[in-house]
Amino acid sequence: MIRKPILTSKEDQNFQEALKLYDQKQYKKSLKLVDQNLKKHSHAESLTLKGCINYQLGNKSECESYILKGIEKDKDNYMVNHLAGIYYRSIENYTESAKWLKAAVDNGSPNKQILRDLSILQSQIRDFKNLTTSRQQYLDFQPGYRANWTGAAIAFHLNKNYNSAYSTLTKIETIIKDHLQESDMYEQSECCLYKNDILFDAGNISKALEDLEKDQSYIKDKLAYLSYKAKYLMILGNSKEASVIYRKLIQRNPDDIDNYKNLEICLGTSDWEVEKRAKLYEKLARFYPKADVPKFLPLVFIPSTNKLFKSKVSEYILSQLKRGVPATFVNIKPVLKNAKKLKIVEEIVEEFYGSIGQYDPTVKLWTMYFISQLNYFKAKSDSKFLEESMKWIDLAIEHSPTLVELYLFKSRILKTQGKVVEASEFIDQGRQMDLQDRFVNSKTVKYYLRANNIDKAMELISLFTKLDKDAINGCKDLHTMQVNWFLTESAEAYSRLYHQYQEELNSLPEDTDEEIVNDLKEKVDINKGLAIKRFLAVVKIFGIFVNDQFDFHSYCLRRGTPRHYVQTIKWEDEVHSTPIFVRVIKGLSKICFEIYDEQKVKKEEEPIKIKKNNKKQKKAKAQFLKQKEDLIKKVESEKDDSDPLGTKVLNDLVNNSNGDIIDNLLNLTSTLINEAKDYKITWELSFKLNLIKCKYILCLQALKNLKDKIDEDELKQLIQTLSDQVSADETTNNAIKMVVEKGLASAFPDL
Amino acid sequence: MPSINLDDLTTNNLGVFKKIFGVTLPIEYSEDWYANSFDSDQIVKLAFYSELPVGAMKAKLLNIESFQGNFDNFNTSKLVSKSIPNAVYLETLSVLESYRNLGIGEKLLNYLIEETTKRFVHEIIIHVHVENTKAIDWYKKHGFVEKELLKDYYKSKGLTNPDAYILSLKV
Repeated sequence: MIRKPILTSKEDQNFQEALKLYDQKQYKKSLKLVDQNLKKHSHAESLTLKGCINYQLGNKSECESYILKGIEKDKDNYMVNHLAGIYYRSIENYTESAKWLKAAVDNGSPNKQILRDLSILQSQIRDFKNLTTSRQQYLDFQPGYRANWTGAAIAFHLNKNYNSAYSTLTKIETIIKDHLQESDMYEQSECCLYKNDILFDAGNISKALEDLEKDQSYIKDKLAYLSYKAKYLMILGNSKEASVIYRKLIQRNPDDIDNYKNLEICLGTSDWEVEKRAKLYEKLARFYPKADVPKFLPLVFIPSTNKLFKSKVSEYILSQLKRGVPATFVNIKPVLKNAKKLKIVEEIVEEFYGSIGQYDPTVKLWTMYFISQLNYFKAKSDSKFLEESMKWIDLAIEHSPTLVELYLFKSRILKTQGKVVEASEFIDQGRQMDLQDRFVNSKTVKYYLRANNIDKAMELISLFTKLDKDAINGCKDLHTMQVNWFLTESAEAYSRLYHQYQEELNSLPEDTDEEIVNDLKEKVDINKGLAIKRFLAVVKIFGIFVNDQFDFHSYCLRRGTPRHYVQTIKWEDEVHSTPIFVRVIKGLSKICFEIYDEQKVKKEEEPIKIKKNNKKQKKAKAQFLKQKEDLIKKVESEKDDSDPLGTKVLNDLVNNSNGDIIDNLLNLTSTLINEAKDYKITWELSFKLNLIKCKYILCLQALKNLKDKIDEDELKQLIQTLSDQVSADETTNNAIKMVVEKGLASAFPDL
Repeated sequence: MPSINLDDLTTNNLGVFKKIFGVTLPIEYSEDWYANSFDSDQIVKLAFYSELPVGAMKAKLLNIESFQGNFDNFNTSKLVSKSIPNAVYLETLSVLESYRNLGIGEKLLNYLIEETTKRFVHEIIIHVHVENTKAIDWYKKHGFVEKELLKDYYKSKGLTNPDAYILSLKV
């Protein structure tokens, strides 16, 4: 028998002790022991543990090096692997963390909880293939929890391994069937429906229907049961039975437009006469007199030339106007895309207005409001109607000056006319009549931001934020509450101000007083910095959205909500296609390109010497610093913000401190390319950036995606730009040039 | 039939209150005058027609002995703490022009009468501009009697004929 050397065992003992202390969050004591070990020998486990301890102690620059040393020394040691996994998880490098946790498992770690952590990481990085293994292994280890079965099934489902997913769920169901408590029934219901989803995704509709009926007694979500059943019947061609269920669904919720549309598909109304279709809806409207849909839908399918249209639309609009429904216009708006229908509606309302005296005064008011909105709608194709719209809203305001909606609408007209300042002041008049309405408050704030009045906007929105005791405004709250619309609008306002000051600066005559020049320069920098900072705040929030999933990979299993979990995963996969994110990237990239252009110019220019006028400058500077301090208090995005004015982010971008500015932009754009393929800006950015980087194949790909998103002249110009640069480029490989030229010729043969 | 309801004035809808008086009255009141609406000697109310605010009323308790002077010193004076209130002075009562003759003013007035008697006070008095015959007729219709003519009451406000009638209602 070989005895282990005493030294090693002493070290291992120390390490075990240190590990215990680490788990108890006694990091300093733990570090002492680890350092004792490392004094004499380089002990792999201790090295990695030191990395983790340093992280916990906030010594962030001395973590990864220790982790790497530990791995280098003994990369097959499961303890080292595990600690490395823990470290990479805490710095949110999930790919690396998953890799090392998997290594820990593969190297025989007895700690089965690693499988749980590993599966969460694999879900986060969408490594579904390996996820199935880890979830299955964890299930084998702990088959006593239903959550583990559901977890394995989800893994199989996401990996499109439908049979395994289905059999896993069926198996646990048969095991658990006789032991179900009342408190398990919700989970049971959700799991049955989830099992059904899997069958549907696998394309096995008849089996899905069969199971749905079998599980009917378990299913609590009756709405889902009915919708699933109707959908299946329809796909299986049993329209008659499907139509009966859609009628039931309409009865449950007569305001859901989809049920009506599906009913029509089942009944095969596409080759019915208009009159017959209208009769169907008349009948439905009699059954559900309070529902809007059966009254509204016929207005869409009855052609304007049919005399039924006029009588129906007249009944629809006038009954609402007489009841004083504020949303009358919004309700009818989808129909008005048809110009002939619009004309008829206009005539009806005009005629009605002629006899308005017999009704109570609010009817007149709502009708005037309607006519103003109608003209605003027409102004989209011909701006001369804007004045008409204004005339009617003024009449309405004179009639009922206390109705806030009218103020909102008049401000909207003013905004469309480009009078942003008047619009913001006028909407504020409306706001003052109802200070507790958050919607009106938010609208007013938005209008002030459009008018670049950021201070006033901040003052008003702060009425609705938490406002800590010592806070001067709600700026920090808006960041923690992730108020993306406000951050984006304010970023755009700062950006407009920066461009405005930049223009002023550029148009100054040469002999302008230095003080004025410097003052303007500061203003440019501050507004530019703040614009970037606010845009980046939204980018950061989207990062948080992605990280927020993390807890749900295990939470949803415990709660027994697999259906909603899978939906969330799919939503998260495209979270960067949210319009506000795309808008932020658009705004941010504009400023970045400007900085990039300046960089190019600066390289060629000599630095300009600044004359000094000390005394005067000092005084001005003191005054300026005071102003700056006040400003900082107002714009801080977190407590003790280290970069309140975005000066550092701006400088980092200007000096390429965190890597090349174009590379950084490409990074941001890549999320759009993966998730927001339908946006023009995605591919415009991709084209522009890759052209700078001389990545011509990627430019070609961008152009192909732009084909049906921009007009032909624009496209032509871009193609020309690309082919010009390709042919002038002498450093690029000829083969690549050929590919691009051929690609252009085959993708755009006519241009 | 559209409903007519009364509701309290709050700090959040004070703007509506100002708006109604602003568009219906020929004279402007000061910010202070609006701000004291929440004092304990005040009787204020808003009237809603189909949930739209269209009418407003503001009155205060006072002692009839102090009932003198012209518009300015009168509207800024407060009830002297020691004197016992024995009348309610109706400062303003307005309904938006488009919503008149629908019973809204009457509802406000009835509320005021109710509040007055609750406070064991038995007289409501008002000033009305002599030219405002519509208002004078309206008040008379509702039981007010003409007491005297005050010369130059509205002089500081620049009205063409600055005299005012005092009308009174015993309740």
